[in-house]
Amino acid sequence: MPALEKVRYRPVPVRDLFLEMKNLSELMIDLAYSAALFNDRELAEDILELENRVDTLDYLLEMTIMIAARDAHDAEALAGVSAVASAADKISDAAADIAAIVTQNIGVHPIVSQVFEKVEERLMQAKVSADSSLVGKRVGELDLAARMGVDIIALRRDKDWIINPQKTEHIRSGDVLIVRGVHSGIKEFKELAEQKSRRRGD
Amino acid sequence: MSQQNQARFEEIVERLVELKDTSELMIDLAYSSLLLKSRELAEEVQRLEEHVDKLHTDFELLVLQSEFKKEEAKGFLGLIRLGVATEKIADAAAQISEVVLRGIEPHPVLQLSIREAEETVAYVPVAKDSPLANKTLVEARIPEETGMWILAIRRGNKSIRPKPDSKIEVGDVLIASGYAEGVEDLKKLSKR
Repeated sequence: MPALEKVRYRPVPVRDLFLEMKNLSELMIDLAYSAALFNDRELAEDILELENRVDTLDYLLEMTIMIAARDAHDAEALAGVSAVASAADKISDAAADIAAIVTQNIGVHPIVSQVFEKVEERLMQAKVSADSSLVGKRVGELDLAARMGVDIIALRRDKDWIINPQKTEHIRSGDVLIVRGVHSGIKEFKELAEQKSRRRGD
Repeated sequence: MSQQNQARFEEIVERLVELKDTSELMIDLAYSSLLLKSRELAEEVQRLEEHVDKLHTDFELLVLQSEFKKEEAKGFLGLIRLGVATEKIADAAAQISEVVLRGIEPHPVLQLSIREAEETVAYVPVAKDSPLANKTLVEARIPEETGMWILAIRRGNKSIRPKPDSKIEVGDVLIASGYAEGVEDLKKLSKR
């Protein structure tokens, strides 16, 4: 269990805190399902750390809105912000619960992953082969969202996961990528990563 | 594993995926209800929350009814926990929609993107002769033709998270957001 950090108030715009909570919590859901279905312990542990991060953000947000409320009207509006932020926190908790299935060695029945891959059309894991045309490319340069309607939400290199990799990150041979998006796109992307078929002219 | 058990497994996982999709759709809709100050969307989220409760119970019953060996118990516990977590996500979405239903004026901080407050939400049924019927969302080109964005497709008591390859069926209700003039265009497309 990671040590909990002491949360000291520092001035950060509520909007920034909230957006980070919202984005992280949504990302964590997809990562958590991936960790559970591929029984990936390192990824699951990273999700538990992200959960901590969201908790810290939530504390900071609560402190900030307490300072911001000057009158009853402010308090009413900010209570709404607090409720929504705590919902984002709850979502990240749920993602951490899913990750804990892996870290507590409970696991999900292996046949589930097989079936899941057939019916879940939005999430996929692929290993980049040495021959893949992706090797050496920067994440941003692939323009995946526009070209195939997918994006890379995490990348494993050796033992470490890089969550939400930056546009400037280079893809290397042997990287394991978690990709989410539309079904046709993730299928196309998997072929590209594993270089199962020759590239169709583009 | 017997063939019968395999079939049952597929059913369990299909339910799980439906739970997962619905809970994630609820999050999208809940944030949209906040952004668009839409009571209707918030109520849709509440309705889906009830639907998820039912799906979740069915899912748990299916898991418990499957025959599994002692050594498989852990794997089944993992499945149950996945279901519980998914239900928690749906709860969180319902909590977000409650802010709208309680009439709390959404704070500007919660205005998350540029698609803003002048927009409205429309519920548009797809008629038999509509050119949209039996097309996928990509083929239907709704944003291009009308400026409206599809938030969800309601089909019977289910709501479907829109994907480019989702097929529009006669009788579907399209839940869309956009500017008022777009609503009229979308209604025309859906009737005919």
